[in-house]
Amino acid sequence: MKRIILIAALLAFVTLGVNAQVFITKTGFIKFYSSTAAENIEGRNKTVNCAYDVKNNNLVFKVLNKSFEFEKALMQEHFNENYMESDVFPNSNFSGKVTNAKDIDFTKDGVYKVTVEGNMTIHGVTKKLSQAGTFEVKGEKLILKSKFNVKQADYGIKIPAAVAKSFNESMEVTVDISLEKMNIKQK
Amino acid sequence: MKLWLKVLLAAFVLGIIAIIYVYFFLWNKPHTDFDKAKPDFSIQAEVLYNEYKTDAKAAGLKYNGKVLEISGNLSSIENKDTLIIAVFAFEQGMFGDQGVRCSFLPKYFEAGRMLQSGAAVKLKGVCQGFTDDVILESASIVE
Repeated sequence: MKRIILIAALLAFVTLGVNAQVFITKTGFIKFYSSTAAENIEGRNKTVNCAYDVKNNNLVFKVLNKSFEFEKALMQEHFNENYMESDVFPNSNFSGKVTNAKDIDFTKDGVYKVTVEGNMTIHGVTKKLSQAGTFEVKGEKLILKSKFNVKQADYGIKIPAAVAKSFNESMEVTVDISLEKMNIKQK
Repeated sequence: MKLWLKVLLAAFVLGIIAIIYVYFFLWNKPHTDFDKAKPDFSIQAEVLYNEYKTDAKAAGLKYNGKVLEISGNLSSIENKDTLIIAVFAFEQGMFGDQGVRCSFLPKYFEAGRMLQSGAAVKLKGVCQGFTDDVILESASIVE
């Protein structure tokens, strides 16, 4: 009898579905910063899409380039029209995994050092990326933070010759994204 | 006054005017005030989403960078510290609800927070493109 009840319970569990842990947001924050002789350049995006699937260890970012805001309208215009060519390449993406995911206890609040590896696509160019950062488990939230440099030339972003000498060859990217657990039923 | 002096003075004044023009109207030109902009298109939120979903490239050519007046029934309001977003959701995707997302201008934060889920609304904003949602920014409430 006990065996029948156990089998029935397992069947019910499988039939009704298993809740998988997926953390998502559409209001992630990414900032990039670069200094030039004339002035500093800073673009901020507060509507980054990000998802992390704990079961499959899949981490995905999707960024709409035109959602980067600049203090100066002219800078924003140059960023979209001349550097990123946002009409041709509207999105920047990252898809990868956490190499040390087994070190993270998603049931225990805490800050965990992580290394993320995957493919980053900017301006239509895809490159392998491996970067350090942190995952902070905070109740139903997962907070991702990282800071790293990206070379414009690696992604085919051309700086006009007239201003190239005064530009830094790389920009500092800051990631600060707070994800929330989404309930997903998988059959 | 000698002629060459007059020419020099005129060139100097023109130079000053040019510098002022470049500084105020180019280098420090203000961001577009989309609150005052007239819409290029008026469209139902669901129709807009379906156009992007069917052919994002074609829809982008048509709507990206344009001021859109969209109408529909609100699914939800997302209330973050520096962001108030009106959401018209039509299906589920990798990142949750998918549809049209409108980020309000700061002057509409208070009014945006008061909007109720299910309410029929008309919003105006600039279309920035498509990730898994159609993204409108600098949004204002029309009615």
